[in-house]
Amino acid sequence: MESTLISLLHGFGVAFQPDNLWYAFLGCLVGTLVGVLPGIGPLSGISILLPVTFGLNATQAVIMLAGIYYGSQYGGSTTSILMRIPGEASSVMTCIDGNAMAKKGRAGAALCISAVGSWVAGTFGVIMLTMVAPPLATIALKFGPPEYTALLILGLIFLAYMSSTSLVRTLLMACIGLLLGMIGIDNMTGHFRYSFDLAELGDGIGIVPVAVGLFGLGEILSTPSHKVVGEVISPKFRELLPNRQEWREAVMPIARGSVLGFIIGIIPGSAHIISSFLSYALEKRVSKHPEQFGKGAVAGVAGPESANNAASTGAFVPMLSLGIPTGPITAVLIGALMIHGVNAGPQLVTEHPDVFWGFVASMYVGNLMLLALNLPLVSVFVTVLRIPYAYLYPLIIMFCIVGVYEVSHSIVDVYIMLIMGVLGYGLRKFNFDPAPLVLGLVIAPLLEQSLRQSLIMSNGNYFIFFSRPISLGLLIVCVILLGLSALTFVLKRKDWREKLAEAEAGEVQP
Amino acid sequence: MNLRADHVAGAAFVIFGVAIIALSGDLPVGQLSMPGSGFLPMIVAVLTIVFGAALILRAGESAPFSQVGWSDGKHATMVTVITAVAIALYTYLGFIITMVLMMVTLLVVIERRNPLRAGAYGIVVVLFTYVCFAYVLKTPLPVSPFSY
Repeated sequence: MESTLISLLHGFGVAFQPDNLWYAFLGCLVGTLVGVLPGIGPLSGISILLPVTFGLNATQAVIMLAGIYYGSQYGGSTTSILMRIPGEASSVMTCIDGNAMAKKGRAGAALCISAVGSWVAGTFGVIMLTMVAPPLATIALKFGPPEYTALLILGLIFLAYMSSTSLVRTLLMACIGLLLGMIGIDNMTGHFRYSFDLAELGDGIGIVPVAVGLFGLGEILSTPSHKVVGEVISPKFRELLPNRQEWREAVMPIARGSVLGFIIGIIPGSAHIISSFLSYALEKRVSKHPEQFGKGAVAGVAGPESANNAASTGAFVPMLSLGIPTGPITAVLIGALMIHGVNAGPQLVTEHPDVFWGFVASMYVGNLMLLALNLPLVSVFVTVLRIPYAYLYPLIIMFCIVGVYEVSHSIVDVYIMLIMGVLGYGLRKFNFDPAPLVLGLVIAPLLEQSLRQSLIMSNGNYFIFFSRPISLGLLIVCVILLGLSALTFVLKRKDWREKLAEAEAGEVQP
Repeated sequence: MNLRADHVAGAAFVIFGVAIIALSGDLPVGQLSMPGSGFLPMIVAVLTIVFGAALILRAGESAPFSQVGWSDGKHATMVTVITAVAIALYTYLGFIITMVLMMVTLLVVIERRNPLRAGAYGIVVVLFTYVCFAYVLKTPLPVSPFSY
């Protein structure tokens, strides 16, 4: 514990360097804007702005990109409360009671509760991250190829189980991602795979063109400007403070949302979305006045907003300590670190303490910055919301093209982004969630290498995965999750995942 | 039998899986004790076919294919075509000319905005972005034959 505190102090030394403070601020500001603007999620925001970080060092890059991620969780609540349009998916639940509060003239109070809840949850998440990640990294150093293979398979199955679309759909997306991840030169034999004589494909397909295409361009293709309409409720600055009763009603939901969100954040899947749904359901269940939910209940804003922020911090635990992405956003962040020559994983703490502890410390600072940003500048964000979408999306397309081209100055990458955009549009039409595809793309090289190394180690005996306790334990969890999914299918029972899908689609309230 | 959305989607994935196996012909699968470069692609392609077939089998639960909404299809096609042309011109005409042309075309052709206003918006936004990238972020952007 003492060494953790000393390391954290060292991290604050890194985070308080003027350059790092500036990039944390920039990340938080851009993240808030990304969250505020409908049509740009944190994933597309991070992907589009990834090339901007090429001129920075690894610490500055990850500080800025993470700022965009957790900043978007703060910003997403603004559109939810003022327009009843979720700025991004994790703010869906905030729409219900946040907008109802706004219609009752309590928009300022809802925004304040949301910002304070997000700050408390974000800070709680970082404290937990500080305590959990280093010991977990020490355990992960004992992992060999069979353990990593089992862990990656578990990650995919967990994602499939947690997904609000069906297991088959999620696994199909993961398979397509894995296949895309195998394009290029095979590291172990030097064979060219599926490169169609294009030299640019020798290094494989990058995560940036795929993520920007699927989430940035794909969203634009499926969103004609006439469909983006909404009335913005403008809160007055003096109305921002909640009254004593509202504070009292917010305290426990913020506490519950913080704990729940962090735990769910560690689990692979779209944690920040699931956590806000579960927090809403939990608050409704424990409330003495469940009938107020949907009509402007303070707990309906405080709980989900706290949960999604704690979850976005929790997602950094497996990313930093195991090098395993729990979702597409952490996958892109791992990719960003790799571009800067830093591998996320157990060695990160020992080999790059400046990056690890500087990043952790910057999150404490970033959460404070977001609190300071979100309340006083709410009128600025309201002005941004008034920019017509018709003028906004050509700008986003421009950033998509520039962002992807600047990664490796390859026009082939930009064409790949366009193809992925069209694919993303098609996948939306057929109710596929493209997130597992990105995850599959990122883990494909890791999975292939660890699987092949395991088989070489055991002379082709699959029993190696069952003879080692950690990999056996992880595979047993895989079987349990698959069994639970099969049970739901056989019994034709509607479980929480289907209810989540319906809630996301706005069909029912949980 | 009514054609369902998942019939079409499942069939597409089965065809994709078969295509991957066909394209993997020259990749050595190897042996279990020494897996080759075609080993995992073959496994994943087979899984794609299996999951695609499962989707077809459960297609009755999905919406009829005729009900898949394509009302935004025209918008999507026009944006795709204009973006594709912009990508093709990007390295030849450079950032400034290509992006101004793309933004004005998107605003005038798709959004039916006033050409003068669209032009002014496009020029201001593109020049501002160029200055940010070239001078603040020190990231060179493609230039036109006219050296800007």
